Amino acid sequence: MKEKRKGPLSRAAGLAEGMAATVRRMQREREPRVLLYDPAGYARLVQPEARGHARIMQVAEEMLGQVAERE
Amino acid sequence: MADTLTPERAAERLRGLSADVRGAVLLDAAGSLAGATDDDHDNAPALADLARRLFEEVDRATRDWDTEPPEQVEVQLPGGAVFASRTPRWTLAAVAKRGALSSLMLYDLRAVLGELEGGPAIRRSTSAEERARGPATEEHAAEELPMPELGGQ
Repeated sequence: MKEKRKGPLSRAAGLAEGMAATVRRMQREREPRVLLYDPAGYARLVQPEARGHARIMQVAEEMLGQVAERE
Repeated sequence: MADTLTPERAAERLRGLSADVRGAVLLDAAGSLAGATDDDHDNAPALADLARRLFEEVDRATRDWDTEPPEQVEVQLPGGAVFASRTPRWTLAAVAKRGALSSLMLYDLRAVLGELEGGPAIRRSTSAEERARGPATEEHAAEELPMPELGGQ
């Protein structure tokens, strides 16, 4: 069980920890990755070493390049 | 009906729903370009070709999977993200800004395709100021309820 923080310094430390965890989670969510969703909406991650991962990433990068070129 | 969504307007409708969309294309069942966001007409054919290739690669990568073929794709990249969704008749692909919320993007893609397939039109809420111009009625209030009331008879 998480120890209850007492005092303003401890509470500030707790807030900082929470923010750091949020930043880490956001960074993790933005890491390059391929997710495929079945018709029911269940997601499946294509592992970087899996067949097709590199090609999917490459096509997506080209799509990004197309739009960036126009911008 | 004047407000019926046409394939030509579908990509622009998607961008209207999400400010994170940088460009989008719609393909028909044959993989041909059916619509694109307004400022993408020059490179829309190339973008459409890439969207078609994206699902080809996805199908190739998943042909041994014991699941149904993927309906939606999300690719996160350092400079942005690509989202795509398909039905038997249409494929809608979008290039989005970095940090676009996946769940919202996928929901919007599905909603636009659903509307294109003849589903209900996507309702956009109006600002309180706009609503205030008309008479406040119970019907108006009921329309604004996000969820049906639970616990009724």
